[in-house]
Amino acid sequence: MRLTRGTGTSFVGGAERHASRSLVGLFVPVAAIGAVLALVPIWLGDSRLMMGLAIGGLLFGCYAIAFNIIFGSTGQLFLSVGALAGIGGYGAALLGDRVGLPLIASVIVATLAAGLAGGVLSWIAVRRSLDVIFTGIVTLIFALAFENLLLGLGGVTGGESGLSVDTGSATFLREQIPPYYLFLGLVLLYLIVHGLLRRSHIGWAFRALRDDEVAAELAGVNVARYRIYGGLIGAAMLGMAGAIYAINEGRISPTTFGFGEVDVVVLVMLAFGGIGTLFGPVLGAVVFTVLDELLIEFGQLRVVAYGALIIVLFLWIPRGVLPTFGSLLRRLVSRRDTRVVDRSGEEGETVDVT
Amino acid sequence: MLEVRSLSAGYQGNDVVHDVSIHVEEGEAVMIIGSNGAGKTTLFRAMCGLLRSSSGEVLFSGEDVSRMPAQKLVRRGIGFVPAERHLFPRMTVQEHLALGAYPKRPDPETRSIVFELFPRLGERRRQRAGTMSGGEQQMLAVGRALMSRPRLLVLDEPTTGLAPKLAHEAYEALGVLRRQGLTLLVAEQQVPLAMAFSDRGYVLENGVIELEGGSQELADDPRVRRAYLGVT
Amino acid sequence: MTAAILDGIVLGLQFGILAVGLTLVYGLGGVLNLAYGHMAVVAALVVSLTMEAGLPAAGAVGVGLFAGGLFGLLLNSTLLRAVYRLRGEARVLLSLLLTLGVAFVVDGLLLWRYPTEALSLHIGGDAVEILGVPIRSGSLLASGIAFFAFVALFLFFRATTLGKAVRSIIQDEEGARLVGIDPNRMRTLILVLSGMLAGLVAVTRSMTSPVTVTQGISFTIFALIVTVVGGLGSVAGAFLAGILLGIVNTVSSFYIGTFLTYIILLGAAALTILLRPSGLLGVPE
Repeated sequence: MRLTRGTGTSFVGGAERHASRSLVGLFVPVAAIGAVLALVPIWLGDSRLMMGLAIGGLLFGCYAIAFNIIFGSTGQLFLSVGALAGIGGYGAALLGDRVGLPLIASVIVATLAAGLAGGVLSWIAVRRSLDVIFTGIVTLIFALAFENLLLGLGGVTGGESGLSVDTGSATFLREQIPPYYLFLGLVLLYLIVHGLLRRSHIGWAFRALRDDEVAAELAGVNVARYRIYGGLIGAAMLGMAGAIYAINEGRISPTTFGFGEVDVVVLVMLAFGGIGTLFGPVLGAVVFTVLDELLIEFGQLRVVAYGALIIVLFLWIPRGVLPTFGSLLRRLVSRRDTRVVDRSGEEGETVDVT
Repeated sequence: MLEVRSLSAGYQGNDVVHDVSIHVEEGEAVMIIGSNGAGKTTLFRAMCGLLRSSSGEVLFSGEDVSRMPAQKLVRRGIGFVPAERHLFPRMTVQEHLALGAYPKRPDPETRSIVFELFPRLGERRRQRAGTMSGGEQQMLAVGRALMSRPRLLVLDEPTTGLAPKLAHEAYEALGVLRRQGLTLLVAEQQVPLAMAFSDRGYVLENGVIELEGGSQELADDPRVRRAYLGVT
Repeated sequence: MTAAILDGIVLGLQFGILAVGLTLVYGLGGVLNLAYGHMAVVAALVVSLTMEAGLPAAGAVGVGLFAGGLFGLLLNSTLLRAVYRLRGEARVLLSLLLTLGVAFVVDGLLLWRYPTEALSLHIGGDAVEILGVPIRSGSLLASGIAFFAFVALFLFFRATTLGKAVRSIIQDEEGARLVGIDPNRMRTLILVLSGMLAGLVAVTRSMTSPVTVTQGISFTIFALIVTVVGGLGSVAGAFLAGILLGIVNTVSSFYIGTFLTYIILLGAAALTILLRPSGLLGVPE
């Protein structure tokens, strides 16, 4: 792993350097992914259980893409992915059931609430110049506090046993197959949003601030503003996904959006696929959803397997599958030494000689 | 005593110093001058085991110490005072000097030599390094290095950030040490000071040795005068 | 109220020692050990199993501490090597992720093999009255041990050369190398010490309430909160923050309830990061 200045950049894959500038380079792969995943219900559509798992996989794909924007693009280690999705989920459920808002309004307001929370978290991190570890700790604290609030305010949130979500129960969202396509649409939408972001001036700013914050500031990039954008957009995406899922499932509880259940999984998925790449999150989500299902019979050992996987992944494929295989392929194809020469460090940097 | 042969070193695959060869004989005071970014720090760090060199050798008293990490070099008798000093902010002067001789216990005789050399340190024994001024920190850094009784003391830009009076005092102290038999290798940006102090020197620019010779020779060299002494 | 405060001090001393283990390791240049709580739980498990095998409590505790230290040693010589090769943010991230993985592996293994094990050390003897409040002998012994541990640590770090060498590695690794200190040996020492401290706290906690295998994560979180408030890398800070937060914990639990108390503790950590990131006694960057 290389240390480069900036935030968490050593994990970021280089695939985007070769991203096609044209929109075709974005829409074609997205459409292909959509086409392939659209076929899944043909195969699994009979089983409610299987479709539920598939929807879960797409949900995590959405989470992973959103987290990719927050962490991969703007370098903010938000350890509150689950909590932000939970704001969306619980928000939509409570707004729909208790406050009586129509379904779509509930989802929109919940999404905005999540987005706001994410934006505030970013704003705080930026204002206090929090580095990665402190951003991580603060967002972790937020996640733990949120989960605790859910447990504690039982009167409103149903506490440990959770809430049943009545709103939307009459719609197609409770059926077996249609929600799958809604979630698929969401994944594709998120991919397109991310892809367009990367191609826009916002994406340019993201790349600049991730590579070298100081240089970016000097070049006129308002690092603060773009970090907040990243937090806002990513969090809103998490909230929307969480909201729709809550309505689809009909039942949510604190564990639906807990740190161990969501954040860790998303982290692994993204790390596997490739942080910073466009399609990494989708690859990670697919692989791990399948893997999770395969491992289900192992009970507690499943957790062990996840832990071992995290360790193996970050030791040996730190940049993720897509970038690693991408460079391997490129090297095979070109035959030249394609090793990218990194900027040399400042004069004071040490290579560990011990 | 110290021989550096064709040393190249740098960061992340890019060499900053190329094929540098210098030598320091016992009892000498040798200077290395060069502008900012010339590679002096990189050279010293590679020499003193803080940076892995890409090629070349470093021999100290005949022993190949090229691959030896810094903590082992200290035991061989090389003391290094880096440009950033690397003091322990929450530890006192006493504690610094106590650690300087690690793993041995600090020798009271050496300690009194240090306090004689730097009376201001003696006045501030219990003061924490983090609260000291630049000049005092520099003194402490040198004092700490001296506690291990090195035979060769390597200093990287010891006068950075020091007021002229303090810079002179620093070199006076180094002069005292020299007279007591310590061999010195100093990288310096304040060229006139270094020249007055040293016997011999090297000019390092762009990572290569461009000139070498006796200090007086270099002082008279028109290129050196133009580049470093502001003479047109 | 007095009872709550005294109870808080008892708890706080132990939180403090727990935090010392975490804060020392963080001092090694940003290594965040998220498997820390699990080290404590594993040590507790070992003590429990050893006692079941027939060893008297004192011996079992010794074995448990050894296990804690061993955990630290293993962690240091395997996974953390990759972490030490990095600097700065990359080091923090990798340490976070790798230790998270370890936490999962240990958690899963423990729950799989010993889901119902719990360590409970019963300390005989009558309750002692302090300031009009009866303190159970278990609490007394636990706080006594914790306090003694702090004194021992203090003496170690201030008065011994080895202790100063450890501090120096935390304060400036390069500076330490320049005086001949081997960072690898120091790191090993710190990790072993950290593991033993975790084990020690698991043992003292078990004197007042059972320590189960599911508590790994909560140990880590409490240690993290105290570490953050006390100042990353500061032993004295861990002591002070431990006691303060221990008192806040018990007083608040008594008057307001546990859910809100947890939020208050989390909030304390968050506020510290936002207002004074170096913590109570840490060195401002």
